[in-house]
Amino acid sequence: MKKVCENWEQAISAEIWDPSLFDEFELRAKNAAAEVFRVKTAFEAQEVLRNLIQYTNAKKVVAVESPLQQAAGITAAIRQMGVEIYTDLTDIAAQAETADLGISGVEFAVAETGSVCQDAYAVESRLVSTLTPIHVVFLNSRNIVKGIADAIGIVSQVYDRGYISFITGPSRTADIERVLTIGVHGPSRFIIIAIDEQVGGVA
Amino acid sequence: METTNRNLKREIKDKLADDVLRGALARFGEAYPIARAKAYENVDDIEALRDSLKEMKQATVANIEAVADQFEAQSVKRGAKVFRAKDGPALKEYLLALCKDKNVKRIVKSKSMASEEIHLNHDLAAAGIHVKETDLGEWIISLAGHKPSHMVMPAIHLSRHQVADYFSKELNQDIPADIPFMVQTSRKALRDEFLQADMGISGANFGIAENGAIGLVTNEGNARLVTTMPRIHVVIIGYEKLIPTIKDTVPILRSLPRNATAQMLTSYVSMISGPVPTMVKKDGQWVEEDKELHIILFDNGRLKAAKDEKFQQIYQCVRCASCLNVCPVYQLVGGHVYGHIYAGGIGAILTAFLNSMGDFEAFNELCIGCRKCTTICPGKIDIPGLIEELRTRAVKEHGLPFAVKTVFENVISNRKLFHSLLRVASLGQKPFQSGDFIRHLPLFMAGLTKDRSLPAIADAPLRDRVNKITKKLAAPAKKVAFFSGCNIDFVFPETGESVYKVLQDLNIQVVFPEDQGCCGKPVIGMGDAETTKKIARRNIAAFEEADVDCVIAACPSCTETLHVTYAELLKDDPQWAERAKNFGHKVREFSQFVAEEYEKAGRLTGQSAGGTKVTMHDSCHMKRVLEIHEEPRKLLENAEGYELVEMKDCDKCCGMAGAFGIKYAELSAPILKQKVQNIKDSGAQVVAVGCPACMMQIGGGLDKQAPEIKVKHIADILAEGIKDDAKK
Repeated sequence: MKKVCENWEQAISAEIWDPSLFDEFELRAKNAAAEVFRVKTAFEAQEVLRNLIQYTNAKKVVAVESPLQQAAGITAAIRQMGVEIYTDLTDIAAQAETADLGISGVEFAVAETGSVCQDAYAVESRLVSTLTPIHVVFLNSRNIVKGIADAIGIVSQVYDRGYISFITGPSRTADIERVLTIGVHGPSRFIIIAIDEQVGGVA
Repeated sequence: METTNRNLKREIKDKLADDVLRGALARFGEAYPIARAKAYENVDDIEALRDSLKEMKQATVANIEAVADQFEAQSVKRGAKVFRAKDGPALKEYLLALCKDKNVKRIVKSKSMASEEIHLNHDLAAAGIHVKETDLGEWIISLAGHKPSHMVMPAIHLSRHQVADYFSKELNQDIPADIPFMVQTSRKALRDEFLQADMGISGANFGIAENGAIGLVTNEGNARLVTTMPRIHVVIIGYEKLIPTIKDTVPILRSLPRNATAQMLTSYVSMISGPVPTMVKKDGQWVEEDKELHIILFDNGRLKAAKDEKFQQIYQCVRCASCLNVCPVYQLVGGHVYGHIYAGGIGAILTAFLNSMGDFEAFNELCIGCRKCTTICPGKIDIPGLIEELRTRAVKEHGLPFAVKTVFENVISNRKLFHSLLRVASLGQKPFQSGDFIRHLPLFMAGLTKDRSLPAIADAPLRDRVNKITKKLAAPAKKVAFFSGCNIDFVFPETGESVYKVLQDLNIQVVFPEDQGCCGKPVIGMGDAETTKKIARRNIAAFEEADVDCVIAACPSCTETLHVTYAELLKDDPQWAERAKNFGHKVREFSQFVAEEYEKAGRLTGQSAGGTKVTMHDSCHMKRVLEIHEEPRKLLENAEGYELVEMKDCDKCCGMAGAFGIKYAELSAPILKQKVQNIKDSGAQVVAVGCPACMMQIGGGLDKQAPEIKVKHIADILAEGIKDDAKK
């Protein structure tokens, strides 16, 4: 899987980390109509996702596996629920358009704006986050930087080529009578699951 | 291409009668400043952010060729193809050849104003290519066959019902005027377009030279699909979007969404460097393949602007359209009238460079120079200043209309003739019945037109009264000369008397150089620099003779002209440059000068004496050119018998704006009406102004809408508190 950077964690300097940033991030993300779930462990994250699938009645899921998701055993858990889940590139290409839910990992988040940064070089990362009506991302809750300047500071260290997306809430428009309407061409729900547990293999 | 034969007057009339448009723009005008302020709540220093954007862009344009070379080299190195298109035809030729070569039958587009600029869709369709705009607003206007009326909200002029009609026609089914339903309809209708397209065309909000990346700042998600699904991606990017490094995106990302849509960040900010993988179906199998990436670096007048000392500023524009959102004229007529392809003030300037001077001249007069946009532009572009400069260049190139030229060159610049005409006019003789003639005179001449009831020219101008009101002070603290300007001299001489009274009460000797005349503002406002220079030299000479410490003016427009414009106009004239500079240094605005003197004399206690409620109207030039707004308030707070109250939008233009108020009376009137409403709502019985032109305009409005409220110049209010002595 193509990535802009193989080791984002290294670029996201530990010095920047400030536990108080999460609250600011959560506030701004929610203001932008994102849904934020913060959990302590990877296992709790799995629970959140299972509930979500149940409540949204999702039947088909496409997922790009990140280390956080693997640690949380997401794919197996979803499959156990009897829900179709596709994680292979060609399957994602074939199924994303009709899937109910897409899952991907994100590298870090920005407190100032409530945004997350997705390494979107791999086409599968873009397919699961553009075509599905619901997009769920997994975030390491320590990976939050204060402002746009810090975020771009990280990007500028690692970005040589490829595709990077900052995502802030769901797709939206106000093009008809300036009435804010959620969900145009992209997902109408954007859900962030932030995990406190530091998962081995992430570093 | 559009013709330049526009009938602006008729267009204005139509739009003023368009309730959908008027309502939408009025609601937006109300909501925007509040929403924007909220979006900036976590930016510590907005001015510093604006400066950083401006400085970054200035440094870039100074070096644009090198930045463009680096951008191209880095893009090519990563596998993109770069084509530099000098103009629309060159761009279209390249693109159509590419489509033919790659067998492109279907195209999806995300927003690109540069493609609107050259009517690209028209040519693509003519070549038999199926092309779809996918941004909702752009799709709507493409269905309607309209041009964008706003750079960020292209369909702001349409109601949900009108949109429903266009959708119903396009989709051949009955679409209800329900906004969420229509948005979902567009999702469904356009989804197949993304999946089937051979090529995606996008614009770009920035292009990074360091690694050849382009950036897209969007909300709907269509740009991510346009850049992901089709096998070919074509980027159309203007030179002005280039920036040197990844870090230079910071000021853009922090200000563009906040200013454009009052968001801290848009839903999606994407950066794409080099070809990225996509999935293509081959023999029924999905195969991963790198896309083709073509970047068209678009000139079309941009490089000419880059080399122009003044117009380099357009590189500071990030297309947030905030200048439209606060523009009093845009709020009335929208971008189809106030614009060509690009709308509003910045649109006028872009039109001159990217389309033609003819297109610019067709609507540029709608900029009233109120400078509200300059307080909000994230790149700190002097939009009204640049429009005035373009007018000057147009006049240099092909002159003024004959009637205007005659007035400027033979009347206004000839003080004696001008003043004797004014005296004749004051006798009730009306030699200027031709409207064309009148509207280019200083604005009080409009009092002679039939359809306005502005104050009449006074029986005796101030210049005939100064002998009577001048006190010979035994030991004056200072000696100043009063520059009255046409309005105070001929329409409001009583205000001139008040100025004398206030200054003499401070033990300041006041003199009135007889040879002074019109400051030249209406002349330079029409772009006639040569006549203004003539006027400037005469006024400078008149005041040099007076040999005073300061020159006081009680009109902010005159103050600006004397203080700033003269020195700029004469800076290359060896005989006059220094004299103009010295003169400019001496010029002081009345209320600021008096506040300083009162402060020194311990007369500003900061305590409101209470009494008549007075509200302050900040004139555009006082607030945003001279940056004077606290001093008049200090004076009012201390004025005997008054209590200062604030009104809503106290610094919004009253609609006079020089010749505009007369030439476009139909636009001036609704602006004035709102101003009067705000005055009424404040509960004030008196509205204070520092500008005689505002005094004339607001006075006229109050007469009709609220005769119980009076307008007074600050000098008049201060003079009321000074006891008359025996001489008077």
